[in-house]
Amino acid sequence: MEDFVDSFDRQVDDILYWLTDNAAFLFDAARYALEGLYDGVLWALISAPFYAVAVVLGLAAWRMIGLVPGIVTALALAACYAMGLWAETMETLALVFAASVIALAISLPVGILAGLFPRLDRALMPTLDLIQTMPPYIYLLPAIALLGYGPATALAATVIVAMPPAIRLTSLGIRETPHEFIELGQASGVTTRQMFFKIRLPFAVPSIMAGINQSLMMAFGMVVIAGIVGSGGLGETIYGAIRTLDIATSINASIAIVVLTMVLDRITQSAARKR
Amino acid sequence: MENAEVLIDCQSVWKVFGERNAEAIEAITAQGLSKRDILRDFGCVVGVSDASLQVHRGEIFCIMGLSGSGKSTLIRLLNRLIEPSLGTVLVKGQDISKMDAAALRRTRAEHIGMVFQSVALLPQRNVLENAAFGLEVQGIPRNERNRAAAAALAKVGLSDWTKHYPSELSGGMQQRVGLARALAADPEIILMDEPFSALDPLIRRQLQDEFRQLTKELGKSAVFITHDLDEAIRIGDRIAIMKDGALIQVGTAEDIVMNPADQYVADFVAGISRLHLIKAHSVMVPVVDWDGPVDDLPRCDPEADIDALIAQITETSADALAVQEDGRVVGVVSVRNLLLGVRGEAGTDPIGAEA
Repeated sequence: MEDFVDSFDRQVDDILYWLTDNAAFLFDAARYALEGLYDGVLWALISAPFYAVAVVLGLAAWRMIGLVPGIVTALALAACYAMGLWAETMETLALVFAASVIALAISLPVGILAGLFPRLDRALMPTLDLIQTMPPYIYLLPAIALLGYGPATALAATVIVAMPPAIRLTSLGIRETPHEFIELGQASGVTTRQMFFKIRLPFAVPSIMAGINQSLMMAFGMVVIAGIVGSGGLGETIYGAIRTLDIATSINASIAIVVLTMVLDRITQSAARKR
Repeated sequence: MENAEVLIDCQSVWKVFGERNAEAIEAITAQGLSKRDILRDFGCVVGVSDASLQVHRGEIFCIMGLSGSGKSTLIRLLNRLIEPSLGTVLVKGQDISKMDAAALRRTRAEHIGMVFQSVALLPQRNVLENAAFGLEVQGIPRNERNRAAAAALAKVGLSDWTKHYPSELSGGMQQRVGLARALAADPEIILMDEPFSALDPLIRRQLQDEFRQLTKELGKSAVFITHDLDEAIRIGDRIAIMKDGALIQVGTAEDIVMNPADQYVADFVAGISRLHLIKAHSVMVPVVDWDGPVDDLPRCDPEADIDALIAQITETSADALAVQEDGRVVGVVSVRNLLLGVRGEAGTDPIGAEA
């Protein structure tokens, strides 16, 4: 038994070495793509003055939720600036944004297909269960082996963690169209396309929005953990502060994370409810 | 009505749910097994067994049955929302089970409207957009379809509600939108799947009357499913009584009340008031069987119902009325015939035969 386990472990190691030796160009390309996306988003956030970002997010919160939440949002973001953590906050925001965009670009189409084809859904479920039950920092290990230390690794691991809720809830929303509306579509003589766009998709929107919100929250959690692999941002600030027992800094950074999480959570949640 | 064009011709249609449906149908036809036997022996559920019916142009055809009688399955076979296990459904002479997907879509979109018990209004769309749905999926331009939808909404009295959302409407109003949606595409046939069952009695009665009037006015044909015999009698030109997937009797309300096909139908119609159902021609006896002078009797129309006849006979001193058609006396209705008619019995006995 022990021999078997040993040989299994050796196999896994070998595969990883083989990949780093032979498929390096692939992972280098992935790394450049991920870092390029991250740098682009970060550049946009950093080159704008802090009050511009605070006002834009405040306005978004005002439109989506209400006046008071809008003001609170702008003030809370200003507080992040006042704590001297603006650059880190924007790095975290850029990571979450970049990771969520990639995760949703994959998981929404996959979720829709899984909703339309129950077999695909059944095939995907064990994989999603596996992703969600493993401790999230597990994904940092293969990522760091293949992509190296830095934001690309953080993004790759975050994308993996952020995908399952969006896939699940999108699939659920597409699948659970009330039966009478399917009949209505058939009796009205709709085409397959019309059935999807005019009946299934509108009913799935609340569920899809809830999935987007959940993915965003998962991404936040992972982006902070990814501070260990040099992701930059508030996660790395906290990781550094823990190592030097700098309690004040770690609390400030935690407050900034809470602010950012709450702002994005509330805005996307109300977007889900609006529909 | 009999001579009008047949729009829906349903010929020995079967629907048995389950993998062994072919064997089950064979067993029913060969051995006359019951619904329960089929479930036990074949694990199949009999939805519709050997149903044949014809719906003519301009006719309202009611299918009455209790829950589980297969009436909802039957109506879905008429536009192939459910595939028949056996048998043929012709819509305007075309076999719909042989149509390809495009032809079937066209038939459903242009010839057969459907109204559901659950109404099924799309909650994200306002009333006008809901009413225009059928035209929208046919690719009719927005202006044109909105005009047609607004006209259909006007017919059901909802012109002022076009910009509202379904959740803001009462149940009765929602069902009017459902009807307007079916009418907007101007189909010849409307399938009504228990449309008024969930409404309260007053609104239901109002919608029944409006529906019948509107359908007749527009010259549409309708197949109307209901579990309420009163509703079937109020709305239908002809009624089919359904039990355990089979049509056990098809006829006018008067036929069914006067000559129930079996005890089941007889029990059903027992509580139905005959006063407005039974007409003079059904209770009259031949002139030769009346042993008084006919010329002095007050005249009545063969289509006059018992209620009207009672009113007429009590206003005069006569014992009987002469039924006159095209200026000729075709029969006599006595007080005794009227009393028999109220009980649902035809006036076939000669007057005072047993006396």
